[in-house]
Amino acid sequence: MGEPFTLPQRSVRVIGPAAFSPLGILRHLWDSPRYFDLLLTLSLHRVKVRYKQSILGLSWALMQPLALMLIYTVIFSVVTKMPGAGEAYPVFVFAALLPWLFFSTALTSASNSLVSHQYLITKVYFPREILPITYLIAAFFDFLVASVLLGIMMAWYRIWPNEQALWVVLVMGVAVLFTLGLSLLLAALQVSFRDIGLALPLVMQIWMFACPVVYPLSAVPAQYRSLYLLNPMAGVIENFRRTVLQGLPPDWASLSVACWVTVLLFPLSYGYFKYREATMADVI
Amino acid sequence: MPGANGGPPTEFWATRDVTFDVPSGSAAGIIGHNGAGKSTLLKLLTGITAPTTGEIRVTGRMAGLLEVGSGFHPELTGRENIFLSGTILGMSRKEIHRKLESIIDFAEVRPFIDLPVKRFSSGMYVRLGFSIAAHIEPEVLLLDEVLAVGDAAFQEKCLNRVLELKRSGVTILFISHDLRAVERVCDRVLVMQRGKVVHDGPAVEAISAYQALRGAAAGERRVRHEKQQLTVDAVRFLDAEGREPDFGVTGSPLRVRLEYTAQEKLDAVRFELLFIGSDTHWKTTVHNGDNRLTVGPGKGAIEFLCDPLALCPDVYQIDATVDRFGAEDPLDWLIGCQTLPVQSPYAVKGCFQQPFTWSVPPDAT
Repeated sequence: MGEPFTLPQRSVRVIGPAAFSPLGILRHLWDSPRYFDLLLTLSLHRVKVRYKQSILGLSWALMQPLALMLIYTVIFSVVTKMPGAGEAYPVFVFAALLPWLFFSTALTSASNSLVSHQYLITKVYFPREILPITYLIAAFFDFLVASVLLGIMMAWYRIWPNEQALWVVLVMGVAVLFTLGLSLLLAALQVSFRDIGLALPLVMQIWMFACPVVYPLSAVPAQYRSLYLLNPMAGVIENFRRTVLQGLPPDWASLSVACWVTVLLFPLSYGYFKYREATMADVI
Repeated sequence: MPGANGGPPTEFWATRDVTFDVPSGSAAGIIGHNGAGKSTLLKLLTGITAPTTGEIRVTGRMAGLLEVGSGFHPELTGRENIFLSGTILGMSRKEIHRKLESIIDFAEVRPFIDLPVKRFSSGMYVRLGFSIAAHIEPEVLLLDEVLAVGDAAFQEKCLNRVLELKRSGVTILFISHDLRAVERVCDRVLVMQRGKVVHDGPAVEAISAYQALRGAAAGERRVRHEKQQLTVDAVRFLDAEGREPDFGVTGSPLRVRLEYTAQEKLDAVRFELLFIGSDTHWKTTVHNGDNRLTVGPGKGAIEFLCDPLALCPDVYQIDATVDRFGAEDPLDWLIGCQTLPVQSPYAVKGCFQQPFTWSVPPDAT
């Protein structure tokens, strides 16, 4: 226990009414490092809990992309031929499934994260964005595990990545920020409107076909392409495949659209999230 | 404000116009009926919910303890849950590493610490939960009903831990229905009713105010014989000097005086006073059952001498009944006509102070 006479200047925390201010966002970001340990522990916990008491353990992280890859390969390369996808269809579709599954897993679970943690939200305070972020981290962990498999598949098909593959850091950076922005928005909305959790699985199925996952971007008619690329995940997935698999430089047109959408979405959704956070415990 | 079409109210203020200070290093309690706004106040203080208007200033590291086992996950082991719950409650991982052994020992769960907590007994579960919380070392500690966990021995251990924190200079705000625990921990108690603070003062005084409020809420009820032959006018307490004390003292004499007015001469009258503890159980009664009185007409009184007063510290509600031998209905029956706070200069446990002497027997060498 500290000596009462030599107490250093102690922090004074002021709790006031909820406010929606752009400066508030900066303050929240400034405060967040204090909760880094909580973020770390909760994220570790997500990964651990998911594979506890399961025989296959970590290999479940590979099951979903592998199964989807097999299904799409059978449909689009055995049953019917997808033009423009190249010879190695399995690796073509697998490379797109990685960023897609990261996005869809992270978004679905993160949007539910507040509602599924009512018992914490009504009992303890911590910055609520930690909850969706931990699901994002867990989904990213799965992405990394599956990336190892992508490496093995590329080696099998004798596809060697070149220096363009380094752009993947930027591409995935956009994917992470976009997913986070959308997750925060949907998680905060779901506190009042549970419809979001019910609609999301269906929306994600449709959304996947609005991305160049099973077909190449070149299959989209040129006159619709600029409209098509307003979907940031289309830009992310196309560029992931271009840089990693095809060894091409990023397609700046589609990547910059994805960047812009993300840059506009993120502060809005984070601001809305923090505004809702103030009274979340009463509504949830 | 009632909603349109007679629907549910659209606006409700759980707490409003509540202003108070808790100076550093002091312990304040908040008591009140269910729905008085206690829990809302705690949620505001911990930051779980933001206030609609107004401001709260907290100096120093604050820990709120609104439940035990915050964030426990059933699949994780006890050890993993210590890290999970500890970080949720605001400890750093480094800090938890340092306190890990002490947390396990305090919870008394060492042999089971590497089992998933879903295999824990409920007692082990709450002990581990409280133990984590007890190691936070905050400067300001907010406590809800969390002390009411585990068996009696563990509850005592929890309470002692809180008292230890208090001695070390932690500011405490304790919200509870357990008036005895509040009295032991807090120097000062606020009574809340319908979202407002209605009383603010020393613990014993505030607890009596709360009891009075409780009596008023229940309505000091009276069941009287329809003929109204006898009316109980007052119940008073008198100490050895004949003064009316603010509270009774365990082990010291206390006189209880019942004053009445009889309309006519009545025989075989029996007076009885019931002492009801804050847990709503009957603790004891005093009466003249073996020696019935003939009373009236006119004013009269009967005194009971409790020497020594054996009741342990609590706040007692007094019911008075007067009946006649062979009659079915009481002449007068007052429910909650008085409250008696009892204090003790010594720490006493249990409900009664059994009078005793002790000696070393000659055959024990």
